[in-house]
Amino acid sequence: MDFYGALQVALPEAFLAVSALALLVLGAVTAARGAILVSVLAGVALLVAAVLAAVGPLGTAFSGGLVADNASAFAKVAIYAMSAVAVLLGAGWLERLKARQFEYPVLILLAAIGMGIMASSGDLISLYIGVELQSLALYVLAAFRRDDAKASEAGLKYFVLGALSSGLLLYGASLIYGFAGSVKFVDIAATVHAGAGTGVLFGLVFLICGLAFKVSAAPFHMWTPDVYEGAPTPVVAFFGAAPKLAAMVLFARALADAFSGAADQWRQVVIIIALASMLLGAFAGLVQKNLKRLWAYSSIANVGYALVGLSAGTREGYQSMLVFMVLYMIDVTGFFACLAALNRNGKPMETIDDMAGLMRERPGMALAMTAFAVSAIGFPPFSGFWAKFFVFKAILAAGYVQHALPVGLAVSVAVVGLVSSVVAAFYYLRLIKVMWFDPAPGAVDAAPADAKGIAYAAALFSFPVVMVGLPLLYPLAGVAAAAFGLG
Amino acid sequence: MALQAIAFYLLAAVTIGAGLLVVTARNPVHSVLFLICAFFSAAGLFVMLGAEFLAMLLVVVYVGAVAVLFLFVVMMLDVDFSALRAGFVRYLPIGGLVALILVVEIVAVSASVASHGAAAGAAVLTPSHDITNAEAIGRVLYTDYVYFFQAAGLVLLVAMIGAIVLTLRHRAGVRRQNIAAQVARTPATGMRIVQIKSGEGLSE
Amino acid sequence: MISEHLSPWVWFGLTFGQILLVTVILLLATAFLIYGERKIFAGVQMRKGPNVVGPFGLLQSFADLGKFVIKELLIPDGADKVVFLLAPLITVTLAFGGWAAIPFAPGWVVSDINVGVLYLFAASSLGVYGVIMGGWASNSKYPFLGALRSAAQMVSYEVSIGFVIVTVILLAGSMNLQTIVAKQGGGFWHWNILGGHGVLGLPMMLVMIPMAVIFFISALAETNRPPFDLAEAESELVAGYQVEYGSTPYLLFYLSEMLNIFLMCSLFTVFFIGGWQAPFPTPFLAHWPATLASLFGFLWFLIKTLFMFFMFALVRAVVPRYRYDQLMRLGWKVFLPTSLVAVILVAAYRVFVPGV
Repeated sequence: MDFYGALQVALPEAFLAVSALALLVLGAVTAARGAILVSVLAGVALLVAAVLAAVGPLGTAFSGGLVADNASAFAKVAIYAMSAVAVLLGAGWLERLKARQFEYPVLILLAAIGMGIMASSGDLISLYIGVELQSLALYVLAAFRRDDAKASEAGLKYFVLGALSSGLLLYGASLIYGFAGSVKFVDIAATVHAGAGTGVLFGLVFLICGLAFKVSAAPFHMWTPDVYEGAPTPVVAFFGAAPKLAAMVLFARALADAFSGAADQWRQVVIIIALASMLLGAFAGLVQKNLKRLWAYSSIANVGYALVGLSAGTREGYQSMLVFMVLYMIDVTGFFACLAALNRNGKPMETIDDMAGLMRERPGMALAMTAFAVSAIGFPPFSGFWAKFFVFKAILAAGYVQHALPVGLAVSVAVVGLVSSVVAAFYYLRLIKVMWFDPAPGAVDAAPADAKGIAYAAALFSFPVVMVGLPLLYPLAGVAAAAFGLG
Repeated sequence: MALQAIAFYLLAAVTIGAGLLVVTARNPVHSVLFLICAFFSAAGLFVMLGAEFLAMLLVVVYVGAVAVLFLFVVMMLDVDFSALRAGFVRYLPIGGLVALILVVEIVAVSASVASHGAAAGAAVLTPSHDITNAEAIGRVLYTDYVYFFQAAGLVLLVAMIGAIVLTLRHRAGVRRQNIAAQVARTPATGMRIVQIKSGEGLSE
Repeated sequence: MISEHLSPWVWFGLTFGQILLVTVILLLATAFLIYGERKIFAGVQMRKGPNVVGPFGLLQSFADLGKFVIKELLIPDGADKVVFLLAPLITVTLAFGGWAAIPFAPGWVVSDINVGVLYLFAASSLGVYGVIMGGWASNSKYPFLGALRSAAQMVSYEVSIGFVIVTVILLAGSMNLQTIVAKQGGGFWHWNILGGHGVLGLPMMLVMIPMAVIFFISALAETNRPPFDLAEAESELVAGYQVEYGSTPYLLFYLSEMLNIFLMCSLFTVFFIGGWQAPFPTPFLAHWPATLASLFGFLWFLIKTLFMFFMFALVRAVVPRYRYDQLMRLGWKVFLPTSLVAVILVAAYRVFVPGV
């Protein structure tokens, strides 16, 4: 493929990169005055990139480093759209803070490029570069309020542990390269099909560990609660959503495109990680007082469910993982938009007790939060139910129908998943109880329009829009999942 | 060949020796200086491999820029050396064990990679005399790997933006030099002639 | 330049001899350069300058040498002895080392390496170590402050020097200094400062003349010369990193400063004004014996380099010292963007303009 053809394939990322540079210059020239303009333009750029990703040509470019297929198009549309929402949420937050820093939307743009590279990576180099680009931007965003001790701590913790996980990733990548003789997923797949040696599998385990760090799956989750708690709420709304999807797609791509020949080997590892995440997310969440920490554990559990879909190793499993992640992304963004919107006497409401009496104070917000909590429990017909339903259906089908894994294993994974979601229901229900029935300690400040709008939109999506959206989303995810090179 | 062998063993010995001294030196500034020495000898080894471009980059980037900043920071820090080294003997066994495991792993992995991994059966690369190092690297870097090259550039851009976002503070009330204004100053704008009546002075 | 087909020991001996020759000549040259600089400095201030030792004071530098060498070597109490003495040694080694890649004349170069430009860049970027180590090891306030200042300064200006050099490399299409010089043959309109590609390339001088100016100024900053001698700014820091030095170590610092300046002059000559190429077409050289042709080239190299040295000395005499923030502003806000734009322009010129 010639350079211009390759450029067309890479158009969404190229467009974002050029916009990021242009906006950086614009922001530097106009300084604080232009911060809003930069935010708006960054949001528009992300939406344009989402459209470009949806309609752009498919293909492989740059000697296999960039793969644009249905899966990457699906993921990119979701990622860029969610990033645009995060830009909107962040712009309002910065405006209220009187800290008009134009770097915020630019960093989100750059993180989105990183996620785009991750979603369409075709070899180990683009895998690593994408992960680094995305993570570096997120480290900075987490510490964006540098005068806030907690935010700085969160940024530093995120950075140190993230660097560690990058080290694991690189170590695994170098082992794979050493033993497979190539960094391209296609070549690695050929080697693995011919018989995977211990060396390659050893490298694969490291790679999985590094990626598990990035999706915050147990036992590599330890950064998540602290970072969620310390980082500014709109930032958490951003990195609780899009980066998780990007990392899951990357996870899926690495496992399916490069290691489909070793599915039996990696399935064990992924199942262990999935089980540990679900159980840890459910049980550790029980003792949390802070809502951001609570949702951090919730995200660990949810990543566990998504990994269940991945571990099925079938097309349906991948499809269910994609659907799960998209539904989860919308829920989590909505929830953190609620948190960003809620203040009591100018102080953010972050603990469960702070939410007391919200139903009487702000019924709209309380209803939205209730919707998210009910959805997170997995109560039909909210979106969270459908997400989990497809995942468990996929793993059981993989056991009973496709015989991809032993029936007993499939059943026990599903049972553990159900048990942990029942345990987790306790803390979501407690939140609902506090909101609806406890007396309010004081007046809640008026919610800003942007965060409120996002929260309501997300809540409406979790029910009833999901009933309309799902029949569209599910087949699309099916087309996307078909693009993965499953064996 | 004898000369080359001497040069190789000399450079290799200095690299390893300097590496050891980086860890064992009592004074952190000395550690950094030994690190620089190790970089420098490693660059020499690159030259012996025929990779002169890499060697020069190693010197320019690592020795000339990175290590300078490193040295800068270490010199500015008021480190209590004795406190820093208090646990040295206590942690020596476990540190040594980790180092030993790493060495064994490196040897094992490189041996198996050489025998049946990426390097198996591959011809030994020899420096070409037709095109220079820089040209050979440039030909793939800006064609096959242009995507990675640009993406890596974005990573560095993010690092730069991050450093600025997290450290730059605009202090209020700082009077900055405006060169254009200085140059545009003429006697007419820069000077005011006032007649002062005796005993009154000038109020301003 | 020696053939690679000699036996190793002969090769070693010949190379060693060449190095020795260049070193001795450079040492002698430095003695007279110092004298010349002092004369120029004195001339600007309408003084006589050195005029006592030898005819016209020509032997002044040798008298100074004797003075330095027989002085007592003082090492301050609490100084890091090894690093303190290592600093001037490193500085002087690097100052000499850089000359290995300089082409004095056709075929006259100690080491004709392909990455010569990078080698010189590396050598000059390492120069900062002597300053930092000296300043730190003195265990004294002024030297340390001077060292920090000058390290930041040298690192900053290296960036713009690097970009300027990139424009030259792009024009020449090579990092070999001999090739860069050879490409500028055929008359002064082929020199890089005027675009480097004959009459057709002349429009590029709009880019290259500013680049030459930036290189010249950055070279001043890189060698800690006035008006950028903030490392030693005597009115603020007494003498910067050199405060505690005396006797031979000080002599070494002084010597390497002069050598570095002269190296920068010769680099300017090589990069921008044609190195050993005569400013007119020289087809007649083909009929000359090789040695004579080389001598002819060496003469031009010497003339140009000495002219550049005169410029350096003149700048020292007539320009007042910069303030530190002005220095940083100039480096980062003026030179860096300008040279970056120039790199893009030259690269675009090389890619899109046919026939160059």
